Amino acid sequence: MTRKQKRLSVIVGGLAFLAAATGLTFYALGQKASYFYMPADLTTASVQPGQRIRLGGLVEKGTVERGQGGTVAFSVTDTHKSVKVTYTGILPDLFREGQGVITEGTFGAGGVFVADSVLAKHDERYMPKEVADGLKAKGVWQESKK
Amino acid sequence: MVETGHFALVLAFALSLVQTIVPLFGARLNNQRLMAVGGPVAVTGFALTALSFAALASAYASSDFSLANVWENSHSLQPMIYKITGTWGNHEGSMLLWVLILTFFGALVAAFGSNLPATLRANVLAVQGSIGAAFFLFILATSNPFIRLNPAPIEGRDLNPILQDLGLAIHPPLLYLGYVGFSICFSFSVAALIEGRIDASWARWVRPWTLVAWMFLTGGIAMGSYWAYYELGWGGFWFWDPVENASFMPWLAGTALLHSAIVMEKRSALKIWTLLLAILTFSLSLLGTFLVRSGVLTSVHAFATDPTRGVFILCILTLFIGGSLALFALRASKLTAGGLFHPISREGALVLNNLFLTTATATVLVGTLYPLAVEAFSADKISVGAPFFNLTFAPLMVPLLVMVPFGPLLAWKRGDVFGVAQRLMVAFAAALLATLVTALFIDGASVLAALGVGLAVWLILGALTDLAVKAGLGNAAAPVMVRRLIGLPRSVFGTAFAHLGLGLTVLGIVGTLCFGTEKILSMHAGETVEISGRTVRFVGLYPAQGPNYSEDRGRFELIGVSGSPVGEISSAKRFYPVRQTTTTESGIKTIGLSQLYISLGDEGKDGSVVVRLWWKPLVTLIWGGGLVMMAGAAMSLMDRRLRVGAPSRRRKQASAVAPAGPP
Amino acid sequence: MLFWVIAAILTLGASLAVLLPLAGASKGASSSGDHDLEVYRDQLAELDRDAARGLIGPAEAAEARAEIARRILRLGNADVADETSGRSASVTARLVATVAVLAVPLVSWGLYSQIGSPDLPSQPLSERLAKNPADSSVDELVARAEAHLAANPSDGRGWDVLAPIYLRMQRFADAAAAYRNAIRLDGDSAVRQAGLGEAIAGAAGGIVSADAQDAFEAALKLDPANAKASFYLAMALAQEGRGKEAAAAWQAMLGRLPPDSPWRGAVEQALAKSGGPEVASGAAAKGPDAADVDAASSMSPQDREAMINTMVAGLDDKLRQNPRDPEGWMRLVRSYVVLGKTDQARDALGRAIAVFGADSDEARKFTAFAASLGLTATE
Repeated sequence: MTRKQKRLSVIVGGLAFLAAATGLTFYALGQKASYFYMPADLTTASVQPGQRIRLGGLVEKGTVERGQGGTVAFSVTDTHKSVKVTYTGILPDLFREGQGVITEGTFGAGGVFVADSVLAKHDERYMPKEVADGLKAKGVWQESKK
Repeated sequence: MVETGHFALVLAFALSLVQTIVPLFGARLNNQRLMAVGGPVAVTGFALTALSFAALASAYASSDFSLANVWENSHSLQPMIYKITGTWGNHEGSMLLWVLILTFFGALVAAFGSNLPATLRANVLAVQGSIGAAFFLFILATSNPFIRLNPAPIEGRDLNPILQDLGLAIHPPLLYLGYVGFSICFSFSVAALIEGRIDASWARWVRPWTLVAWMFLTGGIAMGSYWAYYELGWGGFWFWDPVENASFMPWLAGTALLHSAIVMEKRSALKIWTLLLAILTFSLSLLGTFLVRSGVLTSVHAFATDPTRGVFILCILTLFIGGSLALFALRASKLTAGGLFHPISREGALVLNNLFLTTATATVLVGTLYPLAVEAFSADKISVGAPFFNLTFAPLMVPLLVMVPFGPLLAWKRGDVFGVAQRLMVAFAAALLATLVTALFIDGASVLAALGVGLAVWLILGALTDLAVKAGLGNAAAPVMVRRLIGLPRSVFGTAFAHLGLGLTVLGIVGTLCFGTEKILSMHAGETVEISGRTVRFVGLYPAQGPNYSEDRGRFELIGVSGSPVGEISSAKRFYPVRQTTTTESGIKTIGLSQLYISLGDEGKDGSVVVRLWWKPLVTLIWGGGLVMMAGAAMSLMDRRLRVGAPSRRRKQASAVAPAGPP
Repeated sequence: MLFWVIAAILTLGASLAVLLPLAGASKGASSSGDHDLEVYRDQLAELDRDAARGLIGPAEAAEARAEIARRILRLGNADVADETSGRSASVTARLVATVAVLAVPLVSWGLYSQIGSPDLPSQPLSERLAKNPADSSVDELVARAEAHLAANPSDGRGWDVLAPIYLRMQRFADAAAAYRNAIRLDGDSAVRQAGLGEAIAGAAGGIVSADAQDAFEAALKLDPANAKASFYLAMALAQEGRGKEAAAAWQAMLGRLPPDSPWRGAVEQALAKSGGPEVASGAAAKGPDAADVDAASSMSPQDREAMINTMVAGLDDKLRQNPRDPEGWMRLVRSYVVLGKTDQARDALGRAIAVFGADSDEARKFTAFAASLGLTATE
């Protein structure tokens, strides 16, 4: 190989590598990014069973039931619609009835959302941003003044 | 005292303006006096910032609620240590710490930069001063910690309980030392672009600064990871949270910079690339600052947000990243490119390292910013989490890790890959053996887990092989070898330790992810549970009172083989009344390199408690490896090679008498 | 004063940091070529060390040495071109220097005068608490007591003193906790139980809840003549809509109260309103502590009505801003009914139902509650 050919092959190799990395990245974004929905969005959006999504809203009052062995069932609501969620594990410290929450998981049998992670707002001044935006859009949430 | 601090902050801002403009003109006009202003001004600016920070810290320590910032983030009943760490446990205070470290690094350049060419030194200080000026203005305009309240409230609103932990004392300062340390590399790069030339001493200087910043950033990330692990009570050590990514991206780019700077220093090659990488690394640090403080992302780390702050930081971001990249585009063609090398050589290996690391940085960047882009251009909201990064980041890292042991053993300019492979035979055989043993003898080990263990062993032994080969293994007697080993340059040890630490971290991650077990159950007092062959008894739940919280402490006993308790673990739910907040204090028992991790859930009506237990094999190695990497960086820093003397008259005369040449 | 001295000294120091280098002698600086040479010389020395240790082979070392030598040669050529003189620039330089020296005091004093509070001294908490009590504000006195109780949490007397102060300051939750501590440490007493009840009622916005009733009943058990307990228990009856029974209880109280009792006025007022559509439970809407009741009882009827109307309007406003408060809505509806403003009551009821949704539990509760007051949602 001449010097020129060598250099060319190095450049081609580098570009091929970058192309592969880019392809992989965008494939992964398509496959692994999870969409955020609020309960009322689910009627219009088509969510396949088994597709990973994030479901956000308020924990509906009076719906939290603690079952055996750390399984908890509750409803997430945006005040228009609500969705039943089950979760096995320890709920975050800030999980409370009537408070904002984001759950991540898939829809299981019978339309129950099986969450594998639950995030609650992390301090008193902070509401999960998606939930706050969603509730504002639905006219439920009003900015409270301090 | 408080107002003195406020005034010192304003004065430091004024000095940073002087530091930006005067040395810049000095370098342009080649005026020695103007250039000489940079040094004393940088040192004085640091002293004033330190005074300002001390004033704020003392206001926190003495619970001076006439400061709005103290009132919002402190409480008179907090233990003293958290009163002080609370200084930087909030947006305003942490920004002050940020500029304190920035001016500290500027002062270091002023103090130790006497061996730099005067114009380069002046330009570096000017760029450093301009970053300082921008952030001082940001603090004074949008985030002033010295806003007063009159009349002063009598009690504060308490520090966010999650932050009332020793982790806050260590994690942010280390992280900022890392983030901001890269500002020096950035300033050097921009200074070189302003001058339109890259001095040889430029290359020498960038490397130690990169090492310093990288060392602290490694420590900061490792500490942050450990803190999240024990404080959040989820048992995870890395969440691919956008803000974690924000600190991880500069680390990846900084690691690439560290390696390309070696090529530049040794071979004068890759100069332009290194310069660009230095700019990008600090740009990613700034981006991290923006992401954390602008409120555009949902994260555990989010500060109370304020849109004007976001816009302000975005302006700073645009100014510095856009400005430096524009300057790069204009000037890069003027800079001379460096020497040539064969693809299979140390240089070639380092280029490959850079290719992988920068690509990995890019995937993390895409994964972090993609949700923002989607939200900006459509109504959809998405999140990109661990599954995405596992699919993209891991395939990039694995080949890189496989190649790591080859790098330090390859020769410069033209390497012999087969010779190196031969030297690595022992390490390879051991790694293969480890893989097979794991796959065959450990229950539930998947193929991937076995390969992971093999990879870690390969990295660890590869690093040791490097040391052994350089000490002359195989062609020298043992005492000679020991003498040669001790006599090796410290940077050789630095490389070996950093790679060894990487191997340990990989081993920790593989151990925890592939062999860890988890149990969730509700327990009554007196019940026992078995996890990974260990028996744990729940003794009971006991209420207790802390200085500014009350807690329910769950006590657990680890039962030995004989049936008697051999250790105690306690885990608690704490309630902080001022903020009406509950936190989980996880109970952790370290057994060898592994840990038993217990966290408490809710109390049931029948007196039972939900308990979550994890057995985390080798988990301590994840952070232990980070410490070893830091130690490697520290050793490299101590290498005499990095201490370049200034051209002094005496040495000039000496060299005139004794002509340079091989002794 | 001290602050200005320090500020002046700091400014002087900062200005000197700019001024001194500018005034200093211009040192003959080494050219960047010298620095590069130093680096290359160092590289050669390092190369020799590595070669001596056998870290690199002789051939490799020779090649590297030749490469460094080439760089040194190139440096010699470049240095010739590196000659610039700065005479024409000296005017600019002087200008920059002058501006820089002036900028330090001007920028700092100018900016600080805009944003600083030079007259406010530091106020460390310990110093504020150590002040002569006569100069302290109520807040500071309370904080001092709190600090004392944080250090000696088993001082029952301390809690006993602090609790009514909390009550006056409308810190109802703290007051309830303090009364509970006092009861736990120093034993039951009618005064403490009645205070606890009042604190609980205050925390609930004036609703005499079941918990509050328990406390008042405990107080009456200890001291059947405790006026506060009797008064609030009657108020509870009124709030439940049992106006006649409430009136009877107040009537009975009047018979028992000594003629100089401070409660006499309050009871008479309450009694006067209990039948008519005017006051008593309206005043309760805001949650009257003793001070409020005292104030209400010493007012002219017009003033009182104005005060009550403001209270109700305030509650209405609060609910407009923060509507998810079922208790608040019920209080508002009742207040309007009691004030005889049926339209507004109906309007409030409608809004309350709208907030929670027509088929929610709350809405059903509201409707039932309104019906018990003789109000229907839609007519």
